[in-house]
Amino acid sequence: MSTQVATLESHTFDVLVIGSGGAGLRAAVQASVPGVSVGIIGKSLLGKAHTVMAEGGVAASFGNVDRWDGWETHFYDTMRSGHFINDYRIAEKFAHEATERVLELEEWGAVFDRTPDGKIMQRPFGAHSFRRLAHIGDRTGMELLRTLQYKAISQDIEIFQEVTVTKLLKDEAGRIAGALAYYRATGDFVLFRAKAVVLATGGWGKLYKVTSNSWESTGDGGALAYRAGAEMMDMEMVQFHPTGMVWPPGVRGLLVTEGVRGEGGLLYNSEGERFMLQYDPERKELSSRDVVARSIFKEVQAGRGTPHGGAWLDITHKGPEFIKRKLPGMYEQYLTLADVDITKEKFEVAPTCHYTMGGVRAEAETCATNIPGLFAAGEVACGLHGANRLGGNSLADLLVFGRRAGEGALAYARDVAEASSVNAQEIETEMARVMAPFSVSHGENPFEIHEELQDIMSAHAGIVRSGPDLEKGLAKLQALTDRATNMAVSGSRVYNPGWHAVFDVQSMLALAELIFRGALARQESRGAHWRTDYPDELPEMGQWNFVQSIDEGVQAVPVPQMPKELSRLFERGMAPGAWTKQQEGKEN
Amino acid sequence: MQVTVRVERSTGTASYSVDTKAQQTVLDVLFYIQNELDETLSFRCSCRVGMCGSCGMVINGKEGLACRTGLDRLGPVVTLQPMRHQGRIKDLVVDMGDFFSKYEAVRPYLTPRPEVQDPIVASPRSKLREAIDLGLECISCGLCLSACDVMTAVPEFLGPAALNRAYNLIADVRDDARDRRLAVVGQARSGVWQCHTHMSCVEVCPKNIAPTRAIAQLKQKLIVRRFMGHRERPIPKLQYIVKEGG
Ligand SMILES: Cc1cc2nc3c(=O)[nH]c(=O)nc-3n(C[C@H](O)[C@H](O)[C@H](O)COP(=O)(O)OP(=O)(O)OC[C@H]3O[C@@H](n4cnc5c(N)ncnc54)[C@H](O)[C@@H]3O)c2cc1C
Ligand code: FES
Repeated sequence: MSTQVATLESHTFDVLVIGSGGAGLRAAVQASVPGVSVGIIGKSLLGKAHTVMAEGGVAASFGNVDRWDGWETHFYDTMRSGHFINDYRIAEKFAHEATERVLELEEWGAVFDRTPDGKIMQRPFGAHSFRRLAHIGDRTGMELLRTLQYKAISQDIEIFQEVTVTKLLKDEAGRIAGALAYYRATGDFVLFRAKAVVLATGGWGKLYKVTSNSWESTGDGGALAYRAGAEMMDMEMVQFHPTGMVWPPGVRGLLVTEGVRGEGGLLYNSEGERFMLQYDPERKELSSRDVVARSIFKEVQAGRGTPHGGAWLDITHKGPEFIKRKLPGMYEQYLTLADVDITKEKFEVAPTCHYTMGGVRAEAETCATNIPGLFAAGEVACGLHGANRLGGNSLADLLVFGRRAGEGALAYARDVAEASSVNAQEIETEMARVMAPFSVSHGENPFEIHEELQDIMSAHAGIVRSGPDLEKGLAKLQALTDRATNMAVSGSRVYNPGWHAVFDVQSMLALAELIFRGALARQESRGAHWRTDYPDELPEMGQWNFVQSIDEGVQAVPVPQMPKELSRLFERGMAPGAWTKQQEGKEN
Repeated sequence: MQVTVRVERSTGTASYSVDTKAQQTVLDVLFYIQNELDETLSFRCSCRVGMCGSCGMVINGKEGLACRTGLDRLGPVVTLQPMRHQGRIKDLVVDMGDFFSKYEAVRPYLTPRPEVQDPIVASPRSKLREAIDLGLECISCGLCLSACDVMTAVPEFLGPAALNRAYNLIADVRDDARDRRLAVVGQARSGVWQCHTHMSCVEVCPKNIAPTRAIAQLKQKLIVRRFMGHRERPIPKLQYIVKEGG
């Protein structure tokens, strides 16, 4: 072993979790049982992960306010909104376990909002058949994260803050062996060896210029896994949330929680028409996100947009007291950032990139990937949401599959005698690669590359797509990727933002290509993926997921077929709970 | 509007002239400088909306979140300094290690009382809820510690955020580690007695939390304990959630 590698700071764990958002923390808490060592790594400080921003709530079918709700209906809504390319096995486990996972959070210290008789309160959200989202005001994510973080601290899990993983390491047999990373504060490398690794690095909303996502969402984990040979699925599926802030420019894209519509907010075009009545007369403002986002887009295209190219959202009819109590965060956000009092005025909203449904293909039981010893959970993983994610389903996803991934990694680690050996040569090559931008003179500026990438994605792979446009975008992307091989940074390794950006950009470039390839392969419109050259949802296309890997390219893989006892839930053409409710109504 | 932004960097003060648009925040300007003028300028940011508590700094002499401070309120010269009382890593990035270890010292996690099996209902208007709400707002940005005058003389002082968290848990009927926690916050050098209620923390808290109130409550509890002795806290009448159906 070379001296460079031999003197490297190194840690060995039974289970290593990459990502300290909701999914990662839940996995770490699960894996850390007596006698098992667990480490968790985050790119930012503890408690600052993207999850902290989640506002609306966590979907779980308690039926506390609408007693007809139950797991079947949650399952039904999830599959239907995913346009049936979700993995039903994942969705089924999810719908079953979400309630338990929420209650568990309360045992660990969280306190959800209450109904007058003391049960967990649930609010309505788009395309959920019933009021289903358990919440803590409009800072559910923060409380979820904090609760898990404290739980992790109480279990003596070793926590690494502001550490960026740049490569997943495998042994000769192809099993996971650990990860190479660097401390952002010093720029020093650090080696992690582990028997099992859970990947929980979140999504890649930062690929788009207008996004609700935090700076962290650069898709590192997706790129790490892809480069290590993992299968990536449904990469074309990118969610645009219908309501982002529009004005002033600095806040463009920041989320306006669906809770505003959930609590009664209405959408109008510049002519004062409540246009959702026309696009989805049944669910109206609370239709699924893809539908509402597209409707706003169409209104703007038709010349009925607001001054800054969006739609009006109006909740003033609910009264100031109600708004301040139910949506304190939104009230404050508009007041301080846009100088708008939402209790008195309507405000502008427009679609913003919000969530990435695609990601690392993982199976339902343990979240195992095709790389032995590598598990994936949370937004980086794929399978639950299909072509469109329901609001509130992500936080529930983090809890249900964070736990399952932790359990899976724990079981795997117990079967393995010791962490696989790492290859010194591979580590050295990687360190040289990461350091390279320091020795390039007159190279490309990573921030500029990022901006150009965002332009390409927004113009060619955004809310509306077409074959020729995707082809053009892909060609531009490839040219940009070539230029990006020559990125340069200056300064030292100490907390160097330009250097950090180089790695982020490399991750995003890799995933951008997968989005283009997936979008070209899916020759139809389905959920979030809207192609003007194939405007309809095509039954034959609905039978496939597009899976991409570095070795095999794009492959169409059959969508798993539901067994009879599940598929029968869809036979009535309405949600099981809604049907029960209707029957009851008839009897009375 | 033309604004001069003076940033106290590790290498000395750097001055940038920036043309600002209406309703821009300090964070917008920092990004502009980083992306357009000097890509080596370091600062922290994650959410951009005042939810994560990453972007704390001293803005024109007063602690604030960069993403929540509008330039229109700051005048033609804006001075940015790293938070105080914490070691500096680079430029506006400080070492939060001390902040976190103080948090850890108060055992920030709920230690469930063994006799309480099911989650407790905290009705929206109950006292329990009030105590918990106080803690819910904290985004651990560290601004209170930076503003705290006590820290200058007594670096060991646990500080407002940690003490606030301690109080939330001590006031939480579900928690069983009250005694151990009171012992920690009652320590002479690092504990609540160091606080002289200057209110600096209250003034800068972006979430309008009043840690001094929590600290006053803790002092009172410690005094009561000293004079009345330790009495087992009665378990309040609890409502239980039925597990099935939530
Ligand atoms: C504004 C907003 C509101 C939302 N509201 C809701 C809601 O109400 N309900 C709901 O269900 N969902 C909501 N979502 C979606 C949801 O918050 C996210 O999908 C979810 O939090 C993702 O969690 P995660 O654990 O998968 O990843 P994240 O929380 O994104 O965490 C990723 C972690 O990985 C780390 N990481 C990344 N790259 C690396 C690397 N290279 N090395 C080391 N560490 C790395 C990061 O530092 C971080 O700790 C919302 C999203 C946004 C943006
Ligand atoms: S960036 Fe999150 S609080 Fe300012």
